[in-house]
Amino acid sequence: MTTMPAGHSAPVPDRALQTAPADRSRDRRGSPIPTVGMIATRVMELRKRRGLMIAVVVATIGFPALFLLIRLLLHAFAPRTSPPAGGYDIFKVLVAGFLPTFGFIVAATVGCTAGSRDLTEGMFRHLVVTGRSRLALYLARIPGGLAIVVPLVAIGYAIVCAVSVFAAPTFIDSNVNIPPGLSRVGFENWARDRAEPVICSLPYNGHIPGNIACAGPPPWSKSAVTPGQPAPAKLEALAIKIASQDYSGYTSIFRYPSNSLMIKAGLWIELDAAVGFILGLGLASLMGQRTSPIILIIVFQIILTPILTGVAIPHLQGLQRSFVGLAMAHLEPSGLPMFFGLPGVTGGSGGPGAALLPESAAEAICVIIAWLAGWTILGAWRMMTRDA
Amino acid sequence: MNTTALPGTPGKLAAQSRWAVETHGLTKRFGANTAVNGVELLVPRGSAFGYLGPNGAGKTTLIRVLLGLTHADAGTMSLLGYPVPRHRDAALTRTGAIVDEPRFHGHLTGRQNLRLLAAARELAARDRIGPVLERVGLAHRADDRVSTYSMGMRQRLGVAACLLGDPQLLILDEPMNGLDPAGIAEMRDMILSLVAEGRTVVLSSHLLDEVERTCDAVAIVDRGSIIRQGPISELLAGAPVALQVECSEPGRARALLAGTTLGARIEAASAALGLEITLPGGTGRHVIAEINRVLVAGGISVYRLQPVQASLESWFLQVTSRLGDPE
Repeated sequence: MTTMPAGHSAPVPDRALQTAPADRSRDRRGSPIPTVGMIATRVMELRKRRGLMIAVVVATIGFPALFLLIRLLLHAFAPRTSPPAGGYDIFKVLVAGFLPTFGFIVAATVGCTAGSRDLTEGMFRHLVVTGRSRLALYLARIPGGLAIVVPLVAIGYAIVCAVSVFAAPTFIDSNVNIPPGLSRVGFENWARDRAEPVICSLPYNGHIPGNIACAGPPPWSKSAVTPGQPAPAKLEALAIKIASQDYSGYTSIFRYPSNSLMIKAGLWIELDAAVGFILGLGLASLMGQRTSPIILIIVFQIILTPILTGVAIPHLQGLQRSFVGLAMAHLEPSGLPMFFGLPGVTGGSGGPGAALLPESAAEAICVIIAWLAGWTILGAWRMMTRDA
Repeated sequence: MNTTALPGTPGKLAAQSRWAVETHGLTKRFGANTAVNGVELLVPRGSAFGYLGPNGAGKTTLIRVLLGLTHADAGTMSLLGYPVPRHRDAALTRTGAIVDEPRFHGHLTGRQNLRLLAAARELAARDRIGPVLERVGLAHRADDRVSTYSMGMRQRLGVAACLLGDPQLLILDEPMNGLDPAGIAEMRDMILSLVAEGRTVVLSSHLLDEVERTCDAVAIVDRGSIIRQGPISELLAGAPVALQVECSEPGRARALLAGTTLGARIEAASAALGLEITLPGGTGRHVIAEINRVLVAGGISVYRLQPVQASLESWFLQVTSRLGDPE
């Protein structure tokens, strides 16, 4: 046989292209830093996932918007039986309970999708064959995914803030038009000036003298913003007493969140979503699939976090303090209560920090940074070592 | 990993190398199974090179090792003169590849998938999206979702993805899979046109007829090792030639030939209309003339004498271990 033994050279055809290598001076393909184009196409890849985007929009914007819309409509059609849609209470319920929980899970879902779909849909090897650094391919997913998650969470939160502020109660439906935003002293002074309407309208857990007649069309109805009729000192004292007793209810009904609280809570929710995204991205990259990491993260968020942050387990408190949920709970703005389902869920009440394992803010920040860095390193390492 | 990079400055080596692909002792193991076993492969630049082997011979594994999709356990390799994995990024800058079945994001259009890949390449790759879609005949479906594409269209999109980087080297793993006859012919023409432009195409395929039509040279791999490689014409020159003989008395013709000195050099088998004689590789034309003379001298009417050169397929089957004759 005249066949060439394996390993011997074959002749070079005449038409061989002996071109010099392409100019690579401006092609930093081995750089770990992703290009703007890579990030932009990652955004496109996620944005075009119709099912995922519908789910994300519904969870982050649709649910709170629908909830508030129903409250707005109910209040518009039945103001006496349905409380106003906004106010501080509603803000607290949505911002301390719903938004962080759903925002975290939604962000983690987007992260899991970003971290696994190239692999499961066969694009990973196409991308690797481009010669681009695998680290750059991984890092491009972070801004790409956050560019989806952060604005959507922000929109949902902005809707909650807007309704909480602009649809906050401005009067009590029992015929007394009380201005919002009064301090305790201001509220008592306001009550003193409108003693009779206050005595007849506001709830009071005490004895009201029988000689005060509240029957019939109230002459003060809807006009109580104007100074009321002078009343005997005894009635004024009673009105002040009622106002003092009702002040906590007044604040919860009438107050809307302050600007600083809204800013702090917004940043906290966005940080929470970013943690969820990075966790999902890293875990999905590590496992090479989407569904299992999502289930694990939901279990982690809904079940494990409340237990590990609220129950002091002997000899394991150091480990418990390393959980990101506890750290996030410690960074929660002070105007928000602890609710179930929070990152840092305690199940307790009585204000921020109640029933939480103790941890300083610096420790909490370190834990969060460690989680962000740790999951990014794990995900990137797996992507760099994985067979494509 | 015990692989070592070839020494030298990568750019200089790349310009000097006459090989588009060069491997020495390349080995890849999966546990106890050695998928690539000391492969010595030399693919000349500017050629269409077929990489052939039975299923499970290690063809795709070798391609995956070359492209850095998985690591090698031992050996050295270079692409376009760049040692890999040390200068993998430089090597892959001008390399395009389809590995296994080409799969893409189904929810994106063909054009969007290419945008995703172009973003990972150099800036100029973005400008090539339109032209490469035209070239592979997908321009009219470029804005449809890939999930609606047929297998053949995904193969074309895979080739388009390869061409985004204006590659000097294309490595195509079973590019004919899923294509109808017209698609196969178009793919063949495309490969030939790419080679005509001076690019190197490494074609892994089990469609031996297509490889024979398309490639200049081949390597035969079996059980992880390359057992033959070289230009197809040279490989087949050493293969046996079948001589079809149509005559009046096949039985007597066989006896006549067996009684001659030629008998030791030919194997005759009865065929429907005559004889089929297998001549060893390298047999000269004078032997055919001698056979004709013997038959005519013996009073046998010879209607037809036709030598049939062994096809790549028959030769492949002879040399691969599946027929029990690896060497």
